Amino acid sequence: MKPSEDRACRALQNGMVCAASYLVPADRRCEWRCEWKAELWHVRHALCGCGAFSWQAQCEVTSFCLGSLQDALCLRRQSRPAAKAAPRLSGAAGQCILRLGTLLAVCVVLARLLPGVQAENDPARFQVNPGVILIQTFASTDQFAPTISPALFRDWKSTRQRYFDEFAFYRTVGETAAWSARRAGQWRVTHASSNLFSLLGLALPFVPFPSDREGGLSAVIISHDSWRRDFAYDPDVAGRVIRVGDRSARIAGVMPYGMWRLPGEPDAWLLEPDAQLVKSSPRARGYLVAHLSPRGQAAMQGQCIWISVRASEDEDSEYYGVSFAGRLRGPWNIFGFALVLALLALPAVTSVTMGESNYSSHRPSLKRTLLRWAFLLAKFLLVAAIAYFASVDLAWWNSSNYSPVAEFAQLVWAFTICLFGFRWALADQRQRCPVCLRRVTHPARVGLASRTFLGWNGTEMMCMGGHTLLHVPSLPTSWFSGQRWMYLDTSWEFLFADSGAW
Amino acid sequence: MAAEAKLSHTAAMILQAISAGYVYGFSIMEMTGLPSGTVYPAMRRLERDDLIRSQWEKQSIADAEQRPPRKYYRLTADGKATLEASRKRYPLLERLISTEEAKSL
Repeated sequence: MKPSEDRACRALQNGMVCAASYLVPADRRCEWRCEWKAELWHVRHALCGCGAFSWQAQCEVTSFCLGSLQDALCLRRQSRPAAKAAPRLSGAAGQCILRLGTLLAVCVVLARLLPGVQAENDPARFQVNPGVILIQTFASTDQFAPTISPALFRDWKSTRQRYFDEFAFYRTVGETAAWSARRAGQWRVTHASSNLFSLLGLALPFVPFPSDREGGLSAVIISHDSWRRDFAYDPDVAGRVIRVGDRSARIAGVMPYGMWRLPGEPDAWLLEPDAQLVKSSPRARGYLVAHLSPRGQAAMQGQCIWISVRASEDEDSEYYGVSFAGRLRGPWNIFGFALVLALLALPAVTSVTMGESNYSSHRPSLKRTLLRWAFLLAKFLLVAAIAYFASVDLAWWNSSNYSPVAEFAQLVWAFTICLFGFRWALADQRQRCPVCLRRVTHPARVGLASRTFLGWNGTEMMCMGGHTLLHVPSLPTSWFSGQRWMYLDTSWEFLFADSGAW
Repeated sequence: MAAEAKLSHTAAMILQAISAGYVYGFSIMEMTGLPSGTVYPAMRRLERDDLIRSQWEKQSIADAEQRPPRKYYRLTADGKATLEASRKRYPLLERLISTEEAKSL
C-alpha cells in the first residue's frame, strides 16, 4: 500500500470531477456532481477494491474522471442557444491569429525535431576562444577557399611574431579509409595540427590514448555523419584502429553534431605533429588558424586584421585575418539583418500607410482603434517569428557543419518571408472592418470605367457584421485616391445574422 | 416518442443494457465498453426523450451499505417499444448484451 500516492490520486480524481461539475450549467451542477461522485465511489470499489495500490487501476479510475469532463463539455454545448452555438467566424481576427499561431507552432516543432536546426540554435556552438582568427591570402576571391601553404605555416610558427602567439594549420584532402577488413570508402580527411581544437577552444569529449605516442598511431576524430553512415552509431567506436590513406590511426572520438564550423566538411580529422603536416606537397593549400597576441588584438580593425609580409626585397605578400566572432554570426544575427532589410524594402512593394478615409465624420472608439493596431502588431510579430523559424528550418535542416551556403539560404528565406509576410499583413489589415476586424467580403463592381469623369468606379465590399462598407477605387483620381470606409448605423443590423460576433 | 423512432447503435446498446439489468452508469459503461464521455450524455438524451427514467436510490439503503446513493435507470413504456424496434434494426443487439448474463451477475 502506498498511502501517499493513493491520497494524491484520490485528490486528483475528486478535483477532476469537481472541475467538471463547474462546466455544467449551474441549475444541473449539483445533480451531476452527486452522480459522478457516486459512480466514482463504485468505480474505485470495483477497480481498487482489493486494497493494494495499482497504477493501472488508478489510470482506469482517472480515465473515468476524464470522461466526466467530456460529459460536462457535451452538456455545456447542448445547453447553449442554437444561434450562439455556431457564430460565423469566417475571416475573424481570432481565426487569423490562430492560423498564424498554428503555422508558427509547426515551424517551432520542426526546429525542435531537425538535428541541424538544433545544432544551429545551440549557443555552445558559437563559443570559440576570443582572439582566434582565420588567415587567408588577400588575393583570394573566395573567402572559403584554402590559400595557405604548409611552408608558410612552418615559417610563421618558427619565427617570433608580434601579432600572434599560437598557430594551427589544417588542410582537407580526399583519401581512402578502411574501417574494417572488408569495408572501405573515400573520405574527406582533414590533416590538422594537434593543437587545432585546443586553440579553437572546442571542448570535445575525446579519449586520450597515451600509448599511441610511442606506437606511432595518430589520433583521428570522425564526424557525426561518418559515425552514422559507416559505423551505424557504434557506441564503442572510440579506440578502434582504422586505415586512413597509407597509415593507421586510432579513433579518439566523434565530433558532436554541428560543432565544426570552419570551412570544409570533412569526414575525419587526423591530428598530426607539425613536422608531418609540412611534409606534404609544396602545392598543397590549407587554412591557417592563429591566436592574436594583445598587440594583435589592438591592431584589429573591426572583425578583420590586414597582414603585410615582406616576401622578397621588392615584393610584399598581403594576408587578412577574420575573427571567428565575425564569421560565426549565428541564426539570430542573420535573421536580424534580414529583418532590417525587409523593413527597408517594404515601402517598395506596398504602401505602408493604411491610406484610407471616411465618408462620414464617424470615428471608431479609442478601444477599437487600439485593438486594430494591436492586431496589426500581433500579425507582424507572428510573421517575423514564422520567418525566423521557417528560414532556420529550411536552411539548416540537414547541415551538420558550418556552411556559408546555409547561412546565405537562411538570409534569403528570412528576407523573403519577412518582406512578403509584412506585405500580406498590411494588405490584410486594409481589408478588415475597423469595428469588428473581420475581412470585408462580397465584392461588387460599382460604376463604369468609361464614366470615370462623371462618377467613381471601383469595388465595394461589405462587412458581414453590418458595420461598414469599403469602397476601393479601381482608378485613383484626385478626388478619390484611396479606399474609403462607410460606417453603417445600427438600423442595418437586422440584416446581418452575426453582427455581434467577432 | 414513437416506437418507430430510429436510434443510433450507441443509444440502442444503452437501452439494451438497461433492459438487461445493467441499471447504473458504470455498469452500463462496463457492459457496453463505451467511455464515460459517451454514455452519460447519451443517457441524458434518452431521458429527455422519455425513453428511460432515472431515480436516486434511497439514502437509507446507501447508508446501510456505507456508500453514496446511486442513480439508477429504467426503461419507460416508450423506451421498451423503441428498443423492440431497434432490435429489429440491429439483430445482434440481444446477443451482444443478453438478459441472462445480467441476471447471473
